[in-house]
Order: sequence, then structure tokens, then C-alpha cells
Amino acid sequence: MNRAVFVMTAMLGAASAASAHHSFAMYEPTKTLTFKGTVKTFQWTNPHVILWVLVQPEEGGAGQEWSFETTSPGVLTRAGWTRQSIKPGDRVSVTFSPLRDGSHGGGLNSVTLLDTGQTLVPKFGKEEPGLK
Amino acid sequence: MRGSIAASRSASSEGALLKRLATYLELTVLFGYMRICTTRTAFVAAMALCGSFAAVAMADDKDPINPPPTMRDWQALAKLPDWSGVWTPVISDQHAQEKTNAPPWNAQTAKQITHMYAEEEAGRPFPVIDHCFPTGMPSWMLITHNAFEILFTPGRVTILGEGDGNRLRRIYTDGRPHPADPDPSFHGHSIGRWEKDTLVVDTVALLPQAYLAVNEAVGVPNNGDMHIVERLHLQGPDTLADDLEITAGKLLFKSWRTTRKYFRQRAQKYDIAEGVCAQGSFTEAVDKNGNAIFAPVKFHNGVPVGSESK
Repeated sequence: MNRAVFVMTAMLGAASAASAHHSFAMYEPTKTLTFKGTVKTFQWTNPHVILWVLVQPEEGGAGQEWSFETTSPGVLTRAGWTRQSIKPGDRVSVTFSPLRDGSHGGGLNSVTLLDTGQTLVPKFGKEEPGLK
Repeated sequence: MRGSIAASRSASSEGALLKRLATYLELTVLFGYMRICTTRTAFVAAMALCGSFAAVAMADDKDPINPPPTMRDWQALAKLPDWSGVWTPVISDQHAQEKTNAPPWNAQTAKQITHMYAEEEAGRPFPVIDHCFPTGMPSWMLITHNAFEILFTPGRVTILGEGDGNRLRRIYTDGRPHPADPDPSFHGHSIGRWEKDTLVVDTVALLPQAYLAVNEAVGVPNNGDMHIVERLHLQGPDTLADDLEITAGKLLFKSWRTTRKYFRQRAQKYDIAEGVCAQGSFTEAVDKNGNAIFAPVKFHNGVPVGSESK
């Protein structure tokens, strides 16, 4: 687990009203972090699916809630995901691009289910016609 | 261009002819009953009947109706090209188009666009698609990553999109003109006609706030008077092309022509999913009575950073 993350400042106090659909440019694409944690919620909703994970600090204490955002249920379905792909309580390793401002969130690059070894990648399906 | 979309030679204009014929027949029957009214003793009942026919005739003249489709109308649909299935944008081509065929922005708009690209690069993307408003036209066809389906029914083509909760285009193909003073909307008022296997769509009455966008972080409101002409056609067995010509005098120094492509999938597992945008602002929770509820999510700069109910 990357210790650097815990010096990041959560900005929950500045939280504002919902914004919904947006570009992913607020995530730093050149940075990649990997955390391990336990899934709190796998939010299978439009416009963006969100994986909520409780990350346990190495130095102990309460788990920190992180949100990892990715594309829509429709697009993920075409990439082979289902709403049952990840369940609350699953132990996961999440690779993501962090928010540039240090908040506890990131753009999801991949998630590995530690109990099965399965890795899910939110890439679009092939851009070609198909029957399957 | 608005004038070029006139009544077509399709089954729908035959329907209009039948409608006029029906009106003629109604009037003929009406005059027949009026003669009856003057010769028979059941005067009161006959006058009531005359009045009802007169009301139908007047309503037909002043207030066009959507006539019930005939068997012939339904049969005519079978002659249209097969656009069934789920259509997903070719996103790689969207990106290629963005780089190689930018809109001819006027000088004032170009400054805004340049600034937006810089902001996006700096990680401060402008929220083109915000507050769960529909992406609207023409941005839906230009930048969306989500799939849509196309339905043919007599006198209409309907495009139903996935995402943003309310993506819906109604394209009237029954030969009607645009209304004289349509209410502006995110998707505008669209009329279409078939030229062989190409659907030509003319769209006006777009809200000034509807964006002309080139990606989810770069776009500007059209500010009024935008007009879109599209030519939708199959480019291959499973590739749909939308050739757009966009005229937006407040933003562009000339009309912009561009094409977007969509590929077809038929697996039922890819059928269009419900897309209620506002749902993304909530997370699943349980209230004190044990009821399943949605709890608001905290956002910071447009990004979810925590649930308000723990």
C-alpha cells in the first residue's frame, strides 16, 4: 500500500452539490496508485459506476472511504462486467489515477478480486459489430 | 433548408391524401345529414348528430391530428432499411474527428474553446454535461460514449439513448412541417424524410443553452438559431453513419460538416439499459426503519468523495 496517500488531504468539508456526468480530466492520468481494501458498495448507476472501498491505513485506525469512478453500466456491460462482478465485502486491489487535488477518489484503471485473482478492466468493448 | 423538407412521396404523404379524402367524405356525409335535418321530424336528434359531424370537420381543419395507422402504413415500414439492434459510437473515430475536423469557430468562440482545452489539460475540465441535463443536440450524436436504438413506427422515427436519463429524439416522417413557433428543447423539433435508404433529418427549435460540444469538457452553448441537417445511412452492413451539417451563426463563421459513426451489436446482453442520471448522485442505503433508500453522495468539484449517511 502506498503510504503517500495518507498525507493527502480529504476535502469533505468543501463538498458541494452533485454534479453528475463529467469529463475524467480531473484525474491525473500520468499517476497510477494501487490500494488494497474492502468493498463497501459497488454502485452500478448511471452516468458513472462508482466502487466505494474502505482502505485500511497501515498505521491502523478506522478505514478510509475512497470512491473509484468509472464509465456507465451500459459501457461496462459491453466490456464484460455485470452488477454482480463486485460485491460488498470483497477484498480488492484497485489501480487508479488519483484526483489531482488529493481528495479520496480516483479514476478506476482496474480492479483485482483478491480472493479469485480475477481482474476487471473498464475498457470499452471492441469497436466492431458483433453477435456475441 | 427548412423549406427543403417538404411532404415526401412516402407512405406518409399517401396517408395525408387519404386523410383529405376522408375529410371530403365526412363533409359529403355531413351535407347529406343536413338535408335529412330539413326533411325529417326527428329534428332534435338529427341536429345533435349534425353538430357532432361539424365538430369533427372543424377540428380536422384547424388542428391536425395523428391519424390511426393503417395496415398499409405498417407494411410500408418493412421497405425501410434494417436499423435494428444496438448502436454504439465509434469513440476512436470521435477522437480522430475532434483532431482533424474542428468546427469553424468564430474568433470570439475560438478563444473560449482554446481556454477550455487548456483547462482540460490542467485537470480542470469544464462540465459540458452537467446537472443531469440531457446532452442535447447535436452533442448527443457528436460526443456521447453511450449506445442508442432506433425505432420505426408509422410517421415517426424514434431514437432512444442510454445515459443522462432522458435521451430521446422524435423525428416526424409524416410529412408535417416544423411548427410555426415551436417550444425550444434540448433535442429540438425534428422532421425527416427518406431519400432511398437515407433518412434526412431537419432539426430546429433548440434551446440556446444546448451545447455544441467536441468532447465532454470542450463545448459552448449555441446561443440560439442553430439548425441541424443530418443524413443517416448505413455505411456497411453494421455501420451507421450520421453526416451532420450544423449551422450556428452565433458560434461558427460557416456551416460545419462532420460525420459520426456507430457500430451495431445484436447480443441481447447489450440491450439498452436504463440510465437515470440523478441516480449517480446517490448511493444505496438503509433508513432507520429498514427501508432501502438512496442517500445523497457528497461531491467535491464534481467528483464523489463520500456518502452523507454512514
